[in-house]
Amino acid sequence: MSGDDTPSTEGVSAKRDPTATAPENALLRVRDLDAGYGDLQILTDVVLDVGDGEYVTIVGPNGAGKSTVMKTVFGLTTYMDGTITFQGSEIHRLPPERIIHEGISYVPQNENVFGSLTVEENLEMGAYILDEVPEERIEAVYDRFPVLRERRDQKAGTMSGGQRQMVAMGRALMLDPDLLLLDEPSAGLAPDLVDDMFDRIDAINDDGTAVLMVEQNAKTALRRCDRGYVLAQGENSYTDTGDRLLADERVRQQFLGG
Amino acid sequence: MVASNTIDRGRTLLREQPVLALAGVAGAVLVLDLLARLAGVEVPLVGDRTFGGSLGMGRFGGLLWNGIIVGLIFGLAGIGLSMTYSILNFANFSHGDLVTTGAFTGWGAALLVAGWGVADVGHLLLVRPGSGANPNEIGASIAQAPLSILIGAAVAAVATVVVAVAIDRAVYKPMRDRGGIALLIASIGVALALRYVIQFVYGSRNRGVTSTQDVNATVLGITIDLHEATLVLVAAGLMLGMHLMLQRTKLGKAMRAMADNKDLALVTGIPTERVVTATWVLGGALAGVAGYLYVLERGTIEFNLGWFLLLFIFAAVILGGIGSIYGAIAGGFVIGFVHEVSLIWVPSDFNAAAAFTIMILVLLYRPQGLFGGVTTA
Repeated sequence: MSGDDTPSTEGVSAKRDPTATAPENALLRVRDLDAGYGDLQILTDVVLDVGDGEYVTIVGPNGAGKSTVMKTVFGLTTYMDGTITFQGSEIHRLPPERIIHEGISYVPQNENVFGSLTVEENLEMGAYILDEVPEERIEAVYDRFPVLRERRDQKAGTMSGGQRQMVAMGRALMLDPDLLLLDEPSAGLAPDLVDDMFDRIDAINDDGTAVLMVEQNAKTALRRCDRGYVLAQGENSYTDTGDRLLADERVRQQFLGG
Repeated sequence: MVASNTIDRGRTLLREQPVLALAGVAGAVLVLDLLARLAGVEVPLVGDRTFGGSLGMGRFGGLLWNGIIVGLIFGLAGIGLSMTYSILNFANFSHGDLVTTGAFTGWGAALLVAGWGVADVGHLLLVRPGSGANPNEIGASIAQAPLSILIGAAVAAVATVVVAVAIDRAVYKPMRDRGGIALLIASIGVALALRYVIQFVYGSRNRGVTSTQDVNATVLGITIDLHEATLVLVAAGLMLGMHLMLQRTKLGKAMRAMADNKDLALVTGIPTERVVTATWVLGGALAGVAGYLYVLERGTIEFNLGWFLLLFIFAAVILGGIGSIYGAIAGGFVIGFVHEVSLIWVPSDFNAAAAFTIMILVLLYRPQGLFGGVTTA
């Protein structure tokens, strides 16, 4: 055993092969992905899978490229190399408005509601690509977030952080996506609302929507998810079930603050 | 107590915002003076200066009516400027020349319809009455040839849309991600190019185009210029239509969403380029019709009319809160009223300065404009 300062994979419970615990028929399959912004490469050889209905989080230190992975899946960065397939078809060259048609919705971290539009108008915008506003989807969102029904005519910009996050998620759920991308859903929320937000994400996942989430709140996220990826310096380090990553000595020391 | 409170507040205001306090006093004096004039009270001051005087209700009403007309023109043209600002993120200096484009293309069509068989087709299309038949012989007025006037308005809208969308494809679309300053400077180039193409095609002479026969009608004892009435009806109708479009339709909501947050609009699946095109279509149509109606009201046309209007349109839009169409309308009325009502006190060479002074004063008090920060698009 190399119990000294030389890094080693021995004695680490998380597996080196990022695909090791990935499901057989992945909904989203990312292979050897290189991407960045303009000429600046952020991601190198990222490998990631999300199974049907699976709840996956990406954790890692600041600047590791967690959000970049998510944005790249949604076609918002400069694609360089590798493949992203969703439900068997390649999507890594598609623009965001086409990716939405494929069944992926994305909730950005900041400014994720149209502040000058009402709650209901925000939801209608979520279904823009449909010919008609799907009233039953709006009702489904209102059933999930009843406070939004009460405030349907209120301008989203005048709502609290937690309610705005509900509007943003509701907008993303309007197309009943197969995969929901959530970028730091707990950011900016009061501490007592964070658990509530994670409960809502659990509920969305329980209803069959696969979730890929980036979270700064790594411990909570790993406790909640099915599987986690640890990302460092734009490369995958480990993947395993959330609980086992949480228990992992290396992960704890490097990314979770001991 | 109340009086001393008021004095205290007056002192604070004087200390913190002396310009505003001064403007408030000046405004109060002007209102009193206006009331005195309307009441026919005249108090001699120094030399031949007097406080008050005489101002007939008729003349005052006429000035207010002119304020409405000018305000509607500024507001109608300002809506497009405000929309391109909020959705495309740049101040479009070529907007004034889109107004001119609408004026010439629209009047070319109106004269062609009204003067068919009376004058040479080329002269009519190039808006050159006088070389052949004069405007009254052609008879382009709402009283003599209402159909020609309405066709002209439709052509003004369509032709300006074509020009606006073509310019967007050729110039602004390749520069979409370059930022507001680069686009603004490009738009100044477009403005100059467009203006001198118009001058080249239509000539630089200022000429009359409308027929003035039978355009005054008396309704309930008040004489109304039917061309002005047409302007008010069409402009108000278009503004109402814009409001309903933005609030009720899917496209209108998408335009407001994009004005609000472009990045989010993109990830929401709103086809942003289609919304941009719609912005040019609507803004261009309104600018074109505004130019056409402006000529209908004043009777004359020249190649730089839009350029001269542009400063007022900008003033209206900035005063109202740039990015808001309701701000553009409200700002248009404020600038329009000040522009006209100030004629009570200042000679007509200076009323434009009065309008800009009001803009500065409003911005000192409310830097974001009347509707700024309240709602977009």
